[in-house]
Amino acid sequence: MSAGGPGRPREAEKSRVDSAIDWLEQRLNLTEIFSFLTHFGIVYTPVDTRLPLRAALRRIGASPLVSYARWPQVLGLLTALLFGLETVTGILLAFYYHPTADGAYDSTTAIVRDVPAGWFIHQMHHWGALLLVGVVVARVIRLFWDRLYHPPRELLWLSAVWLMWVALQLDFTGRLLPWDVHSYWSSMRGLELIGSQPVIGPLIGFVLGGRVITENVLVRSYALHIIVLPLFYLGGVWITFATMRRIGLSMQAEGGDESSRTTWHRHTLNLLILLVLLTAGLVTLATLLPFRFHGPADPYSTPANTRPPWYLLSPFPLVQLLRAPEWVAGLVLLLSGLVVPILPLWAARHPRRLSDQGLRRLGIVLLSLWAVFTVLGAFAGRR
Amino acid sequence: MSARASTPVAAALALALALAAAPAAAQPSIGSPRTVTAASGRCGVCHPAERVAFETSPHAREDVHCVSCHGGDDRAIDEATAHGHGFTGRMDRASIPRMCASCHSDEKRMRPYDLPVDQFSLYQTSRHGILLAGGDKQVAVCSDCHGAHDILPASDPVSRIAVSNIPRTCGRCHGDTTLVRQRHIQNAYAQYMTSVHAHQLFDLGNLRAPTCVSCHGVHGATPPEVDEISKVCGRCHTAERRYFLAGPHAQKMAAQDVPACIACHGNHAIEASRVDRLGSGCANCHEAGSRLGKMGPAMLADYQGAMTEIEKAEKQIARADEVPIQTEDYHARVEEARTYLREAMTAAHAVQPELVAGFTLRARSVGTEIQSELQHKFFNLKTSKLFLIVFWFYVLVTVGILLRTRNRPPRRE
Repeated sequence: MSAGGPGRPREAEKSRVDSAIDWLEQRLNLTEIFSFLTHFGIVYTPVDTRLPLRAALRRIGASPLVSYARWPQVLGLLTALLFGLETVTGILLAFYYHPTADGAYDSTTAIVRDVPAGWFIHQMHHWGALLLVGVVVARVIRLFWDRLYHPPRELLWLSAVWLMWVALQLDFTGRLLPWDVHSYWSSMRGLELIGSQPVIGPLIGFVLGGRVITENVLVRSYALHIIVLPLFYLGGVWITFATMRRIGLSMQAEGGDESSRTTWHRHTLNLLILLVLLTAGLVTLATLLPFRFHGPADPYSTPANTRPPWYLLSPFPLVQLLRAPEWVAGLVLLLSGLVVPILPLWAARHPRRLSDQGLRRLGIVLLSLWAVFTVLGAFAGRR
Repeated sequence: MSARASTPVAAALALALALAAAPAAAQPSIGSPRTVTAASGRCGVCHPAERVAFETSPHAREDVHCVSCHGGDDRAIDEATAHGHGFTGRMDRASIPRMCASCHSDEKRMRPYDLPVDQFSLYQTSRHGILLAGGDKQVAVCSDCHGAHDILPASDPVSRIAVSNIPRTCGRCHGDTTLVRQRHIQNAYAQYMTSVHAHQLFDLGNLRAPTCVSCHGVHGATPPEVDEISKVCGRCHTAERRYFLAGPHAQKMAAQDVPACIACHGNHAIEASRVDRLGSGCANCHEAGSRLGKMGPAMLADYQGAMTEIEKAEKQIARADEVPIQTEDYHARVEEARTYLREAMTAAHAVQPELVAGFTLRARSVGTEIQSELQHKFFNLKTSKLFLIVFWFYVLVTVGILLRTRNRPPRRE
């Protein structure tokens, strides 16, 4: 947009920039590249790839748009922004991290302690990840509440659920990497639950390299965390923005709300303000509540009160309090994984059997059940 | 025992069957060709249990036979001949040591095995040996500790004389409550089993922990004399003995014939070193309020003061590790401080408070140094959080500028 905006530079320099762009334009379709990038969350307006870049940008800039850098549309934007932050900090961490049982903990503490600004990168990655998981979960709840699973938004709903699953898996594989005693045992508890799912449990065990966390699991978690799952996540982001380009934002489709229409100028600045506040918030959290290290993992001694990660806590009381066999908890986990994406789509097609109001009520009941069981799982049976 | 009655027939049958080389058709056990062996000859035909026990021992593989100790003829096929030829049968207990010594005191015979040959002469100096010579046949002889037939080397873990089995071997007599009462001796076994030495040996598997023989001697087992005690304990506890001899207790206790070491620590039921005993032990002999009686509590206070500082330092190091701050150096220095404290406990054997204070003071100062250095670092960390105020000031300024720019209509070219 800045390229399309009023130029500050002097005449001579401007012409040099222009000629460079012209030179490139004759060899590459820059507009097509730009159009490709917009699929990952920059602009959702359709881009005319036949025009030269500057003309295309000018056309986009001239048209009014619905600002999505504001609540609640901002959640979709945040899933992309936070992922960008995680990618940048993650790459920097990967420069120093050793994915071995001997080196994992030492290299992580060395990043925080010895590498210049390493603590900052690590804390930003940590807090960015926590926020990202929060955002994707909140987004799924928001889409559900606003019934954005109705046609033609089935793919938007599915991609939101997909992003949530992938983000949770990114969290699960990532929290093992410091090889800290707490992260190790919480991953261990989590893996027990995941592995007890019928059918896919053994499959996940096979992919991760075992039902018990060893160095093999560490290395595979690392590979999944930095290569496979980010690509899956990007795929979800791409589907999200590709559907939005086709069918527009929900408010636009509903058509009425004029107050949400804005100019690119306002939108860009809103985006910048959002970025500044997001970064500031993360810096504050990272400084005031830093990640603490509790010593390297020791597979031979289990610390007291180990719990799976918070998003796996809800099936935990079934095993811990009700003494149900592990596969029951696994089945609950598997069914919830299938019901969350499919049930709303089914309800949208069969409004007579399950109305939107009924589905909302069901959603509230299930969500509160989930919350109660999560709290139970966190506190019950503590010694 | 019915086997014994039919011995000649059975033996003849066994021989016939062995010659016919038809072992599959043989009667089981008695008469089986395997009961006649090179080591025990034909004795095992009637004494199968003894034969089996004997053949587990290295003796059976070293040209020692039943007849080497018991006499008789192991090639005979009838009992009368077998039990002829200077047969001794069950030996008189008093003659056992000399009988074993007939080989084990023979330098030439023992040379290939690198075995000592002084056991018999040592035994004769032992309390066991002296009482035996006085006609007391109840005392331990060779076979009581080593076994009669199944004699195994100390290197064999099931042997009676393997390190971890020695207390039980001695305890067969010295832990036998009837025997102990009859002979008016201590139940040394029961006492030993409560000691720190037994804890080391049995609970922690420390095979270098002292057993009965470490202090009393092996074959020359005898209680140490009063003036020998500090030397015996000092074989392992060298530093404690050095400090003890340097202090006033050594000479004065010797002059009054008070045994060293065991006067405070006991003999068999030796407890693990307990710091708090420093505060209470002096009152056993000295008046509690007196100058000498106060010495122990004063040393204890020094010690505990230093310990508190070190523990505080350790807590701070654990906090620093969570951050993490570089703490390898602090870990090493805490170890150093703990070494001073250990030395302080050892130095307490010299009962000179200024000597102990030299170590506790050093330990304490290391503890306080670590604390102050870490506190400084924590303070820096805390104050660096104050930069958030400056940071947020700039964040708000930036947001303000952006808001202004947003609300201003864009300039048109």
